[in-house]
Amino acid sequence: MQDKRFMQEMAVEAATAFQAGKMDRRTFLTFCGLAGVATLAVTTGNAEAAAKEIVMWNWGGQSEACHAKAIGTPFTAETKIPLKFDTSGPLQGKIKEMVDSGKVTADVCDADGFDAIALGKSGHLEPIDYTIVDKKRIKEGFALEYGVSVIFYGYAFMYDTKAFGANPPKNWADFFDTKKFPGKRSLYKWGNGSIEGALLADGVAPKDVYPCDVPRALKKIKSIKSDSIYWGSGSEAHDMIVNGEVAMGIVWQNRGKSIEEDSKGRYKMVMNEAIAMPGAYIVPKGNPAGREAVMKFINTAMTVDAQLTILDCLGMTPSNPEAFAKIPAGLQPYAVNSKENIDKVIFNDPVWWAEKGGDAVNAFLDAIG
Amino acid sequence: MTSTALRRFNPYWMLVLPVTAAVALLYIAPIINILFLSVTDPQPGLGNYQKLVESDTLIRLIWTTIRVCLITTFFAVSLGYLVAYTMMHALEGQRRWMLSILMISFWISVLVRTFSWLMLLGRTGLVNETLISVGVISDPIAFVRNEVGVLIGMVDYMIPYAVLPLLANMRGIDPRIMSASRSLGASNLQTFVRVYLPLTKPGVIAASLLVFISSLGFYITPAILGGGKVLMIAEYISVQLLVTVRWGTAAMLASIMLISVLLLMYILNRFMKLGTIFGGDVR
Repeated sequence: MQDKRFMQEMAVEAATAFQAGKMDRRTFLTFCGLAGVATLAVTTGNAEAAAKEIVMWNWGGQSEACHAKAIGTPFTAETKIPLKFDTSGPLQGKIKEMVDSGKVTADVCDADGFDAIALGKSGHLEPIDYTIVDKKRIKEGFALEYGVSVIFYGYAFMYDTKAFGANPPKNWADFFDTKKFPGKRSLYKWGNGSIEGALLADGVAPKDVYPCDVPRALKKIKSIKSDSIYWGSGSEAHDMIVNGEVAMGIVWQNRGKSIEEDSKGRYKMVMNEAIAMPGAYIVPKGNPAGREAVMKFINTAMTVDAQLTILDCLGMTPSNPEAFAKIPAGLQPYAVNSKENIDKVIFNDPVWWAEKGGDAVNAFLDAIG
Repeated sequence: MTSTALRRFNPYWMLVLPVTAAVALLYIAPIINILFLSVTDPQPGLGNYQKLVESDTLIRLIWTTIRVCLITTFFAVSLGYLVAYTMMHALEGQRRWMLSILMISFWISVLVRTFSWLMLLGRTGLVNETLISVGVISDPIAFVRNEVGVLIGMVDYMIPYAVLPLLANMRGIDPRIMSASRSLGASNLQTFVRVYLPLTKPGVIAASLLVFISSLGFYITPAILGGGKVLMIAEYISVQLLVTVRWGTAAMLASIMLISVLLLMYILNRFMKLGTIFGGDVR
């Protein structure tokens, strides 16, 4: 068992090193294969791990401190169970690998709505127990069978007030109009948000965005290809704007406030028609802490206090309808579910992304390459 | 064991036995696992390989990778040749300095070097700002976030990889051969083209092979300096592993790369002894 854990940790380390460019591809695949082989060789793991801790798998950075403060503190006070973190980023492929390997080390993953649908369907997740998790605390329609939308974030865009201050861009049509608003654009590398934005820009009504007409979206995106660059991480998107590389750039909405501050107000965010993404807390099948403890944890994350702390700390918008009204005035313009934005944003359809997302991402990569 | 077999058995082979065993266990076995995955996921069969001829995306991806790697190899080896040649003909003290600088750049992380290029050559980077302020250009030049940027970053990173085998090769050349050539009436240029250059051919081939094969797996440089528009195989494999969860496609591409590299070395071995190249011995 110890060996297997070692293998797994080694694979995770290797993945981190590989992504950072410190390890070449062949070595990385060796480690992946090695972890796989080890899994076959060691078939019986130990299943009797008690709920002595909850391990949350998130994306690192600020989120570790913020999740600890918002959810960890009240949860531990109530249950005496401490909260620990794995900050390597729960991408779909990594969750699948963890569950398939039979050695699950995380209890709850800070993932996306479409991950909940896709991995739930393929049998890699525990169903959410709504006798413990209070459905009333979740925005209607986002209490999924295999995941709870604890927070919302969004794809919005920011523009350079120095270039367009007099006549600022207002919607996706303006974002994709490089004649009226000349300058470079930055978009997300793996399609989310860009595909929906392109459709809205091309005249699709907000209610008809899903199911997405991918070829139509890609045609629109190709029309600004020579003026576009693409980012793969929140910090890269941040840098592209703050360093003045683009006149307009798509960002994760929760970073909008800090970019406005870092650029001393030069760049402003447009929340109109932002694509609101349900983030989802999902539970890998066979999680070490057991179902009850982790469901209690998710329920704690849904309390108004926890939700408002996450908003303040990370800029992620509450999902609990009771918390919407309590969003502080200063954060209203940046939040997805605030009174002034909730009717202007378009809510992502996780079912469509779960089913067609893989093909859409590959078609997107082909179109921008 | 007969006495001849005993005599042929070199006990020093025992020294490499642990490494050989480790390679077999930790390297060969996982590679077989990946080959296996490429013909079993999502369904058993050659479906993943079929995509190679059906999918324009994959063909373009492979072509982009090969094109970027070939151009990188050409420039890295050409520039590396100049560096190695200069080092060979510099004074001992100077050569030591040059080698130290080369090794330092060799050891600096690829991430640091990539971001340095971004700061130097970006839209608001040092080079563009300077050129604009002295009035040479009015709009910034797009050095990075495109294929040119990827090539600048990769050539820069690969130069030390080209210099080291060339240097080893050039050190093995007896300088008296050039003197002989000059004494027999050849000009400087003739001596270089007809005597020196052919003698460094094994070094050039070793450097090219090393640079080309290493370039194939580049991930971070194209991802950052390419602005998302220069997609190479390594990044695509990572997307298929982690984002779209198509492990079969990822394993197929990894297998194709492995097989291509082995094939490349086999073909080259037909024309020349690879052993001599990597052994650095001219004879």
